Amino acid sequence: MALMPKRVKWRKQQRGKMKGNATRGNYVAFGDYGLQSLDTHWISGRQIEAGRIAAQHFLRRQGKLYIRIFPAKPISKKPLETRMGTGKADVDYWAACVKPGTMLFEISGVPEDLAKQALARVAHKMPVKCRLVGRRLAV
Amino acid sequence: MSHKTPSIEAALRERIGTRYARRVRQTGQLPAVIYGHGTAPTSVSVNEKQIVTALKQNQHVVELAIAGGATETCLVKELQFGFLGDNLIHVDFTRVNLDERVTVKVHLHWYGTPELAKKPGHVLTHDQSEIEVTCKVSDIPSELRVDLGKVMHSHNLHASDITLPAGVSITHPKLIIARVEEIFDAAPAEAAAPGTGAEPEVIKAKKPEDGAAATDAKEAKK
Repeated sequence: MALMPKRVKWRKQQRGKMKGNATRGNYVAFGDYGLQSLDTHWISGRQIEAGRIAAQHFLRRQGKLYIRIFPAKPISKKPLETRMGTGKADVDYWAACVKPGTMLFEISGVPEDLAKQALARVAHKMPVKCRLVGRRLAV
Repeated sequence: MSHKTPSIEAALRERIGTRYARRVRQTGQLPAVIYGHGTAPTSVSVNEKQIVTALKQNQHVVELAIAGGATETCLVKELQFGFLGDNLIHVDFTRVNLDERVTVKVHLHWYGTPELAKKPGHVLTHDQSEIEVTCKVSDIPSELRVDLGKVMHSHNLHASDITLPAGVSITHPKLIIARVEEIFDAAPAEAAAPGTGAEPEVIKAKKPEDGAAATDAKEAKK
């Protein structure tokens, strides 16, 4: 089942803009390896769930998977063959706004080769160009 | 410090700002700033290759040889990365004396596997890859090696369980740094999750009573 918020303040939202690069959530924080977005896109709850399933079926209870994005934005869509007007349409799906640099998924507790294979499978489910990254330098 | 303090070439930056910092980066240098010890901050540029090499060797203290100036012993205080996190764009240095006590993050080198993690369905996760320690500048370890096979006897490994070199103390001893977690199949949790057709609860929905009262008031005004 796709992710969505439990409670919201407002039922619908405006589309908004996704300019620039990610300034938060753009580094591996919890796991050892991460999948980083290189594009700007809305990622739906279904796509996130597809990625989670792809990784967990591959990992088979080895390693821990962290989902770093959450679909908090309601996206509305008018039904097919409907005349324009009569107000904003109903919510069709929930999406996460992703900018270049956003960390989408992280994996810990597995060797590098296994983590890379799992994240490559996740990347196939994502509507954005992705790359695999490790932890960055720290002081 | 287990290694010899590396010496890094630096030069004073006369012009500061985004545009000039970018030009500095194009020449293989890295913009940096030196502050601390009650003196005015100095904008410098350092050799990128040298500083990256030193950081990859887990060095915290460097000797900055400023062209036409003095050599300063500095602690690497903060790093700034580009948005993809793979390129260093700025370094903050702070002036230190070797006898000064400082708080720094030290890299944790894990090895060994605890017995608990060998059970099926159990996963060892490293919650921290660095740990904050307080020690003299001359005593900063380049890394702390932790043998999980010997140290980890329960599901959680706390910072206080690590064996430390003399003169080094941990800032947050109760911090959990590694865990053995049992991974369950996600299927039961999924069944409980709301369906695709389900809608989230709207917390600021208008109360129908208030709305009716408002329309009554308007009508009364008319």
